[in-house]
Amino acid sequence: MREQRVLDRSRPPAPGPLRPFHFPDVRRRRLENGLEVIVAENHAFPVATLDLVLPSGGLAEPEERGGLASLTAGLLESGAGGRDATQIAEAVDELGLALETGISWDSSLVGFTALTSRLEAGMRILADLVIRPTFPRHEVERIRDERLASVVQRRADPASLADELNAHFSFPPGHPFGRRLGGPESTLATLTREDAAEFHAAHYLPAGAWLCAAGDVTLDGVSALAERYFAGWAGAPPPPRAPETEVPFDRTTVILADRPGSVQSEVRVGHVGIPRTADDYFAVTVMNAVLGGIFSSRLNLNLRERLGYTYGASSAFGMRRLPGTFTISSAIQSEGTAHAVSEMLREMRQMQEEPVSDAELADARSYLAGTFPLALQTTDGLAGKLSSMAVYGLPDDYYDTYRDRLMAVTAAQVQDAARRRLMPHRAAVVVVGDANALRGGLDALEIGPVQVIDPSDVLT
Amino acid sequence: MQIPIERYTLENGLRVVLSQDHSLPIVSLNLWYNVGSRNEVPGRTGLAHLFEHMMFQGSQNVPDTQHIALVERVGGSINASTWLDRTNYYATLPASHLELGLWLESDRLGFYLPALTQEKFDNQREVVKNERRQRVDNAPYGDWDERMQRLLYPPDHPYHHSVIGSMDDLDAATLGDVRDFFRTFYAPDNAVLTLCGDFERDEARRLIDRYFGPIPRGPGVPPLPGRPALDPLHLGREVRETVASAVAVPRIYVAYRGPPYGSQEYYVADVVTELLAGGKSARLYRALVRERRVARAVAAFVLPVVTGAAALILRANVPPGHAPAPVEEALLEELGRLAEQPPAAEEMERALVSVEARRVLELQKVNERADQLSMLTTYFDDPDLINTEMDRYRAVTGDDVRAFVARHLSADNRVVLTYVPAAPAPAAEAE
Repeated sequence: MREQRVLDRSRPPAPGPLRPFHFPDVRRRRLENGLEVIVAENHAFPVATLDLVLPSGGLAEPEERGGLASLTAGLLESGAGGRDATQIAEAVDELGLALETGISWDSSLVGFTALTSRLEAGMRILADLVIRPTFPRHEVERIRDERLASVVQRRADPASLADELNAHFSFPPGHPFGRRLGGPESTLATLTREDAAEFHAAHYLPAGAWLCAAGDVTLDGVSALAERYFAGWAGAPPPPRAPETEVPFDRTTVILADRPGSVQSEVRVGHVGIPRTADDYFAVTVMNAVLGGIFSSRLNLNLRERLGYTYGASSAFGMRRLPGTFTISSAIQSEGTAHAVSEMLREMRQMQEEPVSDAELADARSYLAGTFPLALQTTDGLAGKLSSMAVYGLPDDYYDTYRDRLMAVTAAQVQDAARRRLMPHRAAVVVVGDANALRGGLDALEIGPVQVIDPSDVLT
Repeated sequence: MQIPIERYTLENGLRVVLSQDHSLPIVSLNLWYNVGSRNEVPGRTGLAHLFEHMMFQGSQNVPDTQHIALVERVGGSINASTWLDRTNYYATLPASHLELGLWLESDRLGFYLPALTQEKFDNQREVVKNERRQRVDNAPYGDWDERMQRLLYPPDHPYHHSVIGSMDDLDAATLGDVRDFFRTFYAPDNAVLTLCGDFERDEARRLIDRYFGPIPRGPGVPPLPGRPALDPLHLGREVRETVASAVAVPRIYVAYRGPPYGSQEYYVADVVTELLAGGKSARLYRALVRERRVARAVAAFVLPVVTGAAALILRANVPPGHAPAPVEEALLEELGRLAEQPPAAEEMERALVSVEARRVLELQKVNERADQLSMLTTYFDDPDLINTEMDRYRAVTGDDVRAFVARHLSADNRVVLTYVPAAPAPAAEAE
């Protein structure tokens, strides 16, 4: 053993003086065409992110056109404003733009991060992509085929297959959230350039959309660029759909997808979650941290550090404008699978039955509050916060008071959140693994019916 | 953009790099040990990584399971990783908790062995075996790097085996191995400590001195096992392997040995990967994916390793139901073009601008900056490279690119690893 001198190492050192933290000021300006510019400045690096965010995402597409919102966003760089796909790619790479196109259930996003000196050149390309895409037929086919291939590829991956089955069984039949955001194979295969052009014409419109800018920029600077490059763009998209969301199961149900010879089981315990604007957002967030949101959470310490069944176990709420998902995820060694499932459900029940300890509460709150600034180091991360504010209608001081509101959550609120938001008795338990090896153990748990399924019968 | 750097060395040999940035009240603490899977002896593959797990199981003054908990409970994030050449430990903390981070890291460097137990070891061995199952054995293409290392490096080279190690070797490892590994490699004179973020210089120096100063030097690190030098650098023949496994889509990996990270030719190799598959204007994407549509996705990268030879690796997905041969042919055709004729000036400029932009974006994060500073100090004893490395990229010419491709990306220096679906296509498969 190595010798120690005067220093007392036996207890953790006390913290130094607290250093102040403030979320950057959020500044907004609405342009004549209804587009709202939202800016948060950070001049630490000569870098900025500009994200054009539209309030139409996966929920805006007709059910028989599943995958259309995602396909449309993916096709913007396939031809726009007089340039073909190759010319756009060259222009983007010439400027070193980190271009991003993508969607959520609630929004579509086209944006980029670049050195400040290339902001205006990037803006010119961004405006072309948003306002003047051409959807060339051969590119539509190519991108669609790429996505169909990736559906096939994902289903061979037990973790992705478990995720897809989890979504399917967490929502009632026919609910859009029950399928992949990128679209099921059955509808994706039918999409055409006309579909994409039509979706674009109806939804890529300025009134109600936002230009979120973060980093080495100012409100005046970004507004001037927006006025110049989004001039002549006008119109408003229809409001988003709001399908009813019911919990599909009366009792917990095990869905076992056979993957013969698997050395591990991918396990998901899932059910309907909460909307992003739920009044108990902060209590739910702290509750989830204690349950499975951090390394030192109950699920991970139990299934990994105590039982050694897994490399890790976690839980998460996927929040949306409408109630989203709650999911526990883990890859469990085959022999421990049934026991692990019963432990997951028991941990959920325990969150409801007993208040969390003072220490767990304090730890989870300060973890969430302390790590919050990490996401703000990059302009991209900061712009992401602005787009959340925009899409979910959060007030301007929301992120500046975010840490205080986390720190104010009580043990009683956490228990209440667990009672309201966890459903251990009505969950879908998806297991992707070797059915022969697992069936007996899952039956013996007597937590509910066990259905052995063929994923290709269920997933369209 | 200039990253401020101060470096010095403690009496016990610990190299320290400090880089201040007060834009957010957070600080990253990053510790590199100059030991990785390359230091493992035959029969003990996976030990460096299993050891890394054991570093989170407590030390003399830190109870079991508390190392991570102590960081999380003050609002910090913490992790570690093991790689061929090194093992890194890193945490990003609220600035007011810098001392906690230094206490934790110095406790497991200076006071580790008394806390070691068989029970903790047995638990983490199971966790690591499950990590292997999840990432390697149960995932499509999950063993590609293990296979590639075996094909690319000879049996007596330290890169011949994977970081995660074999199940048999993990089962065979003992508590005694863990002790020996610690005594051999975990010493201040085999490590680099970097702080990046919101701290005061004098205070940080005082605290580092206080917590790390008393820890004695190690016994010195033994030479790498096997034959780390590769002479000749090239394979000398084409090596091929086809794997039938539980994948839905065929995939091809093509790899070449090249000069290690640190050489000027390494930067040429990195520019070559940018030209081939950096962005959507790059050659492989344009030709194979967009125009000829023979491949579905392409990637190119260099493994930044320093022992003997680096590896330049190309990857392409084959459309479902198609044969991999035409993809391989098209890929090699593109390499052939680059071996014949240097890229035009505009194409070179695009590649270099992309490299530069990506670097700036990465370095926005204090943990990324700290990790690179530790890396450059561990490998090259030169943290200032973080500010000057771009000059090395800028020095690469179109002629360098052509010459590199002609010299190194040749048939007698090539590994081709192909995955094809093992079973008849599942019902869900298209086409």
